[in-house]
Amino acid sequence: MEKVLRVALALLFALLSGSLGQEMLSFEDLYSRVTVRGVEFSPRLKSLDGKRVVMEGYMAPPLKPRVTFFVLTKLPLATCPFCSSAADWPPDIVLVILPKGREVEPVTSRIRVLGRLEIGVKEDPETGFVSLVRIYAEKVEVVR
Amino acid sequence: MVKVWKGFLASLLLAFGLALALEVKVYPYDQARLLAGQRFDLLVILQGVSGDVKGLEVSLDGKPLEGFQARQGEGSREYLLRDLSLTPGTHSLRVVAEDAQGQVQTTRRWESIGYGAGKVRNVILFIGDGMGWQTVNAARIVAKGYNPENGMPRGLLAMEEGLSGMANVLPSSLNSFVADSANSAASLATGQKLEVNALNVYPDTTKDNLDNPRVETIAEMLKRVRGASIGVVTTTFGTDATPAAWNTHVRRRSEYQAIADQYFGQGGFGVALDVMLFGGARDFIPKSAPGSRRKDETDWIKKAQEMGYAFVSNRTELLKVGVPKKLFGLFHIDNFPSYLDRAVWRRPEVLKDFTDMPYLWEMTQKAVEVLSQNPNGFFLMVEAGMIDKYEHPLDWYRAVWDALELDKAVAWAKAWAEARGDTLVLVTADHSHGLTVYGGYDHTKGPGNREAVGVYEAAGFPTYGDKLDANGLPRPETARGLAVGFGDFPDYCETFTWREVYQDPTISDGKGGYVPNPEVCKEPGAFVRTGNLPKGASQGVHTAEPVPLFAFGPGGEAFRGVMDQTQVFFLMAKALGLNPYLGR
Repeated sequence: MEKVLRVALALLFALLSGSLGQEMLSFEDLYSRVTVRGVEFSPRLKSLDGKRVVMEGYMAPPLKPRVTFFVLTKLPLATCPFCSSAADWPPDIVLVILPKGREVEPVTSRIRVLGRLEIGVKEDPETGFVSLVRIYAEKVEVVR
Repeated sequence: MVKVWKGFLASLLLAFGLALALEVKVYPYDQARLLAGQRFDLLVILQGVSGDVKGLEVSLDGKPLEGFQARQGEGSREYLLRDLSLTPGTHSLRVVAEDAQGQVQTTRRWESIGYGAGKVRNVILFIGDGMGWQTVNAARIVAKGYNPENGMPRGLLAMEEGLSGMANVLPSSLNSFVADSANSAASLATGQKLEVNALNVYPDTTKDNLDNPRVETIAEMLKRVRGASIGVVTTTFGTDATPAAWNTHVRRRSEYQAIADQYFGQGGFGVALDVMLFGGARDFIPKSAPGSRRKDETDWIKKAQEMGYAFVSNRTELLKVGVPKKLFGLFHIDNFPSYLDRAVWRRPEVLKDFTDMPYLWEMTQKAVEVLSQNPNGFFLMVEAGMIDKYEHPLDWYRAVWDALELDKAVAWAKAWAEARGDTLVLVTADHSHGLTVYGGYDHTKGPGNREAVGVYEAAGFPTYGDKLDANGLPRPETARGLAVGFGDFPDYCETFTWREVYQDPTISDGKGGYVPNPEVCKEPGAFVRTGNLPKGASQGVHTAEPVPLFAFGPGGEAFRGVMDQTQVFFLMAKALGLNPYLGR
């Protein structure tokens, strides 16, 4: 009985540590609070830092025909902050970075992203874009 | 690009024994009107210089001007002289410039106006961003409706009643006949025509957005000359163009960080605001705070309190703050949601954590309470900034109800001013949108139904007012509403109805164009309309229409007829008897 329990616990631990699967993350999970002093990462988000996650959303308007990174948004957006410096982002966005050498074509349908989560304020040296939440993607696919 | 082309052309012409002529540009521009004593920077730009500049003489009314700072612009040489002002009267600026090809002379005429004593100590300027005549009209129709017994409107908006004066104001830009919020507000603030996206600076040819020649605003002059206080209240993010037009000086409205710093006197003419109540906390918190838009670690919430500002972050705190000497309020990380979102629908996915937000009339009242402590008077600008931000995406419900929120603030200010007799209250717009009411809409026939649009006789009368919200304003849900459209629009799906969760009308197609938002097109009754704007336009645009100006109080009677937007500056100054040359 104890052995079964140990195996079960080990499996559970492996699952939780992400080595066997991935956690579904939604935009509601990102922040516990947004105040005038800034945005607070939720405990769930913090616990998933560095783990494999799956998120669904929309690709915000990219700058180039094929992209090596894009912003994942909850709803389809009209504004293109990369295109005009006056436009602004809502706080609930995730920067999705594709592996080196990989590109995707921009799509307007709902997409699913699988990859490793990274949280924290980071400025992209090339674009100056400051992101709070990033996914280093393994896979990006259209949701049917 | 232009530099390369001009260089090539110059070489080509030289090869044929011809040469590009030396061109001289001067700011302030020809026939500029300024107040006597209004501070400005003088800029002389030399373009198409052959070889090098061999000589430059600049004289004002025959007297040479010295001390110019030379700068390199894009394909030009610039000469800047900061901090001039003019005596009353007409003036002649003469520029004689010499290069390898010879000499060029040019003259500019300026007029400087010195007003006599005025009756006004305080000015409260309400700006409905994008609130053209038809937006005011739509707001009144919703708020007041008609008496079906006699077809007469049941009343007027507060901004339309008890007027001292009323004018039809013509906005335009230095470089276009259509204005944006930055240059139109700056025209109200300085009396100058300025470029699209520019705030209280003239053009130059350098890349730096913070080094343009400046021109002093009416608020800055009042503070400098009289020790008056300055307040700025808006429902948009704090560093947006309209709030930034009263004491900041930047070539591009997108210089958010510089604008935030200039609010506290760092940069520009070094004049700080005394009361600030708005959204957009992201430009005032350090870069390390997630959600910040700053590139440095400046924490204005902390610094402002060190500088003696009381700080508030929600409605509860605002109403409890008493009457401090200076007040700084940030009520949202970004723009306020619309009045309908805050007061009527209150959807959690829209308001999120910002559930305790003040109304525009409460912000106005608190600002006036704080500013009016100053016996030297005050200049307060109150903006319903989101009217425009909702007209752009064709959301007339949110836009018009925000105009109704503004009207309640106007009602309060009129009553306050009337009791005192020393305050001029103005209500105007910076520019218009293409909004128009063209009939009734019978919502019992469902959304997106062209046959539900009632025209002429079939329009009847709307039934707004059958349900009221907690503040006594009509709720948008009614059987007979309005058929409202916009003259300019991208491809989008029309539904004729409101939605409790805001949607953009278009989304990007990933190739620089925009398509109707599929989420909207899925709504019942939605049908596609093909746009009449360039394909790169994601939203509706500002239009070339004139805007209203309603005036209350002493000096208001001077606002009559049809006038250029810059004239509003001069009439405010006249009412105030503002004469910096004479030190008053």
